[in-house]
Amino acid sequence: MLNTRRGRILIENLTAYIFLAPAGCLILLFGLFPVAFAFFVSLHRWRRFPDEYVGLANYEKALGNVGYILFFWLGLLGLAAAAKIGKRLFKRQEQGTAGRPALAMLAGLISGYAALLALDWFFKLIPVIMLIPRQVRGQHTSLALFMEKLGESFSQPDVLAAGNLMLIGLLLAALIALVLLLRFRQEISGPIVINSAVTTVLLIASVFSLRLTISEIEAALASARESGESLPIWSQLVFISAGIALMALAYVIFQRGIKAHENRRFALLALGGLALAVGGYILMAEAPAALAAADDDLLAGFWITIMYATGTVPVQLAIGLLLAYLLFQPIRFRAFFRMVYFIPYITPFVATSIVFRVIFDAGQYAPANRMLTIVGIEPQRWILERSSIGSLLGLPDFLAGPALALIVIMIYSTWTYIGYDAVIFLAGLGNIPGELNEAARIDGASGWRIFRHITLPLLSPTVFFLSLVAIIGTFQAFTQIWILRTGAVGSKVNTASVYIFDQLQNSNRYGYASSMAFVLFALILLMTLFQNRIMGRRVFYG
Amino acid sequence: MDRDGAGIPKPAGGGLNASASRERLNLSKISIYAVLFAGVLIAVGPFLWMVSASFMTLSEVNLTRLLPEELLWENYATALRRANFLDIELTTDPGTGALQSVGISGYIWNSIRITLISVCGSLLVCIPAAYAFARMKFIGRNFLFAVFLSTMMIPGIVMLIPHLLTVIWLGRLSESLFGPAGAWFNNWPALTIPFFASVFNIFLLRQFFFQIPEDLWDAARIDGAGHPRFLIAVVLPLSKAPIMTIITLGFIGSWNALMWPLLVTINDDWRPIAVGLSNFVTSDTPGDLNLQMAASVITVIPILCLYFVAQKQFTEGIAQTGIRG
Repeated sequence: MLNTRRGRILIENLTAYIFLAPAGCLILLFGLFPVAFAFFVSLHRWRRFPDEYVGLANYEKALGNVGYILFFWLGLLGLAAAAKIGKRLFKRQEQGTAGRPALAMLAGLISGYAALLALDWFFKLIPVIMLIPRQVRGQHTSLALFMEKLGESFSQPDVLAAGNLMLIGLLLAALIALVLLLRFRQEISGPIVINSAVTTVLLIASVFSLRLTISEIEAALASARESGESLPIWSQLVFISAGIALMALAYVIFQRGIKAHENRRFALLALGGLALAVGGYILMAEAPAALAAADDDLLAGFWITIMYATGTVPVQLAIGLLLAYLLFQPIRFRAFFRMVYFIPYITPFVATSIVFRVIFDAGQYAPANRMLTIVGIEPQRWILERSSIGSLLGLPDFLAGPALALIVIMIYSTWTYIGYDAVIFLAGLGNIPGELNEAARIDGASGWRIFRHITLPLLSPTVFFLSLVAIIGTFQAFTQIWILRTGAVGSKVNTASVYIFDQLQNSNRYGYASSMAFVLFALILLMTLFQNRIMGRRVFYG
Repeated sequence: MDRDGAGIPKPAGGGLNASASRERLNLSKISIYAVLFAGVLIAVGPFLWMVSASFMTLSEVNLTRLLPEELLWENYATALRRANFLDIELTTDPGTGALQSVGISGYIWNSIRITLISVCGSLLVCIPAAYAFARMKFIGRNFLFAVFLSTMMIPGIVMLIPHLLTVIWLGRLSESLFGPAGAWFNNWPALTIPFFASVFNIFLLRQFFFQIPEDLWDAARIDGAGHPRFLIAVVLPLSKAPIMTIITLGFIGSWNALMWPLLVTINDDWRPIAVGLSNFVTSDTPGDLNLQMAASVITVIPILCLYFVAQKQFTEGIAQTGIRG
C-alpha cells in the first residue's frame, strides 16, 4: 500500500508534519498564543495573578475615550476585511474553478467557528489554570496534587460546557475535511476552505469587538449619568471618525489630483486641501478632550518615541547610504571597511553604552565637554540633563524638542545602526546592473546625476525596507534607552516601550501593561500600512 | 602569467590619458578614503578608548587621558572578581592533593551555557521545519508558512507578558514533574526554550534549501534514501554557510540579551553576562570606571572573536535577509 502513489503522498505528508511538529508547537506556544493571551490579560485587572474582568477599562486608562474609539474602528476594519475576503470568495466561485465550493465553504465556516470556540474554551480555562500555582503554593508540590487541580479546572461547569461545544465543532470540521479529502480529492480547493474560515473568524471577532465597545461605552455613560456628569463619548467618536475619514478622503483626492488633467487638477487639489484642513481642524479640536483622561506618561512616551524616531532614522539612513556608496567605488580594503563598520552593531549594547556614558559625562574632562570647550561653548550635563535642547538654546517652548539626554541616546543609537544600514545598502547597490551606469556615463551624465536618477531609484526597495525596519525598531527600542538613562533625567527619556516595561517590572501591572503594549502594536501596524501605501508607490522595483 | 601582461608596452598616446585620469582619480580617491577612515575612527574609536581605559588608574580615566601611563593588568583580575564574571573553584582532596571537582560559576559561564543550549536547540528545531517548507509537499504548506511569518511582525513588548505567564506556569508543571531541577523560572528553560523556534532561522534556512538542485534529490531517491536520510547526508553538509550564520546570530543574540533575562531571573544562578554587566555598572555608579571598562572589554572579546572568524558568511547572511536585533 505504501508503494502506491496515494501511499507515498500520505507518507510525505506525515513526514512533513513530523518535521514541523517541534517548531510548530513552539511557535503556537510562544508566537501565536501569546497574542491572544496578551489581549485576554489586557481585559483584566491582573497583578501577577488574574483578577476581575474589567473590559476596556485598561484601554480607557491608557488612552482616555480614544481607547473606545480605537476599538470601534478595529471592529469596523475587521468587518471591512471580512467583506473584502468574502467578496473574493464569491468571485472565485462564479468563475467555477472549484468542484464543490458550497461544501468547501461550509468546511471553512465550521472550522473557523470551531477555532473561535476553541479560543472561547481556552479563555474560560486560562484564569482557572493560572490560579493553580497560587493554590498549591506552600503545600508540598507533588505531581499528583498538581494533576488533581488541573483535572478540577477542566471539569468546572462553564469550562466543561465550552469544551464540549469546541469538541463538537472541531469534530464536525474534521469530518467535513475528511469527506472532502477522500471523496473530492481533485476538486477541493484549499484556498476556499482557508478563506472562508478566515472570513468567519474575522466576522465574528469584529462583531464581538463592536458589541464589546458599544456595551462598554453604554456602561461608561451610565456611570457618568449617575454621578451627574455628561460624557460626550458618542459625539467624540463621530467627530474623530469624521476627522480621520476626511483626512483619508484628502489623501485619495490628492492621489487623483496629481494624475488628473491640467484644469481639473487645480480643483481636485484645492478640494483635497480643504478636506485636509477641515479634517485636521476637527481632530485638533476634538482630540484633547477625548484624550483628557489618558495616561500622560504614556502620551509623553509616544511623543518621545516620535522624536527619537525622527532624530535617528533619517540620519542613520543618510550616513549609511553615503558610506555604502563610497564603499561601492573601486577602492581597496573594502572588506576591511565593511567589517569594521559592522562592529558597533554586533557588540553588546551594555558594553558600548558604558563608553558613551563616559564620553557624554557631565564632568568638565569628559570628551564631549572638552570639545565644547575648544569651540568655546560651556560644558553641558549631557546624559544627566533633563532640560530640552530648545530651552538650552533659548528657543520658545513649542520648539522645545527632546531632552539633551535623549539626544545622547539618539547619537548612540545612530552609531550602533549605521554599519548595519551600510551593509544592506551595499548589497542593494551590488544588485544594480552596471550597464545602466555605464550607459548614463556614455551619455555624459555626471556622478551626482547618475546617483540621483539611476542609483537612488533602483535602490528604493532597499531604502524602503531599511526605513520600515528602522522605524519599527525605534518604536520597540528598549535596551539603548534602558542602559543609558540616569536617575537624574527621570521620565524625560522614557519611550513608550520603556514606560511599558517599567509598569511591568516595577509595578507588576500586567493587565495595564498589556493594554498599552497593544496600543503600541496597533500604532506600529498602522504605521507599517501607511508607509506601505505612501512609500510603496514610490518604490521602483527595476 | 600575469606578470607577462604587465610587460606589454602600452599603446602610444595612452600614457597621457591614463595619467590625467589617474590624477583626477587620486583626488577623488583621497577624499573617499578620508571619509571612509573617518568612519572607521568613529566606529572603532570608542572601542579603542575602552581598551585603553581598561588599563588606566581611576584618576586617569576621570581625566579622560588617551593612553595609560602604565598597563594595569590587575584591573582585569579585579573586574572579573568584582563583577562576578567567572569564578572557578577547584576542590582538591586534602590527603592526596588530587583534583576532586571543578566548580565553575559566574556570568560568563552562564552565558556560555545559555548560548550553547539555545543555539543547539534552535538548530534542532529549525532545520527540519525549514526542510519541510523548502522541499516537501504537504497540505497547508503555504498557509502554515504565512502563519509562521506573521509571528515575526508582532513586537516583542506585546509578547513579554504572556511569555512571562506561560513560562511561570509551564515551570510549575515541570517542577512538579521533575522536581526543583525542572523549574523554568530563574533556570535555563525560561532563557532558552522560547527562542528555539526562530522564524527568522527557518526563513534563512528555507531560502538556502530551495537552492539545492533537484537532481541531488532524484539521485538520493533512486539510491533508496527518504527525506530524513537526504536531509542528514546531503543537505546538511551543503548548508554550512547558513548554519554558521545562525550560530553567529544566536551567539550574539543570547550574549546581548537584556530585557527578557531581567524579567525571568532573580539571582545569579543563570543570569547572563549582559545583565551581569548592567548590574555591575549600575550598582557602583559613579564607581570605578576603569574596572567597568575592563568588564566591558571582557564582555566584548568573545563576540569580536566569533565575528572575525565568521564575519564573511555573517555579513552576507545579514545583507541577504536583513534583520535587526
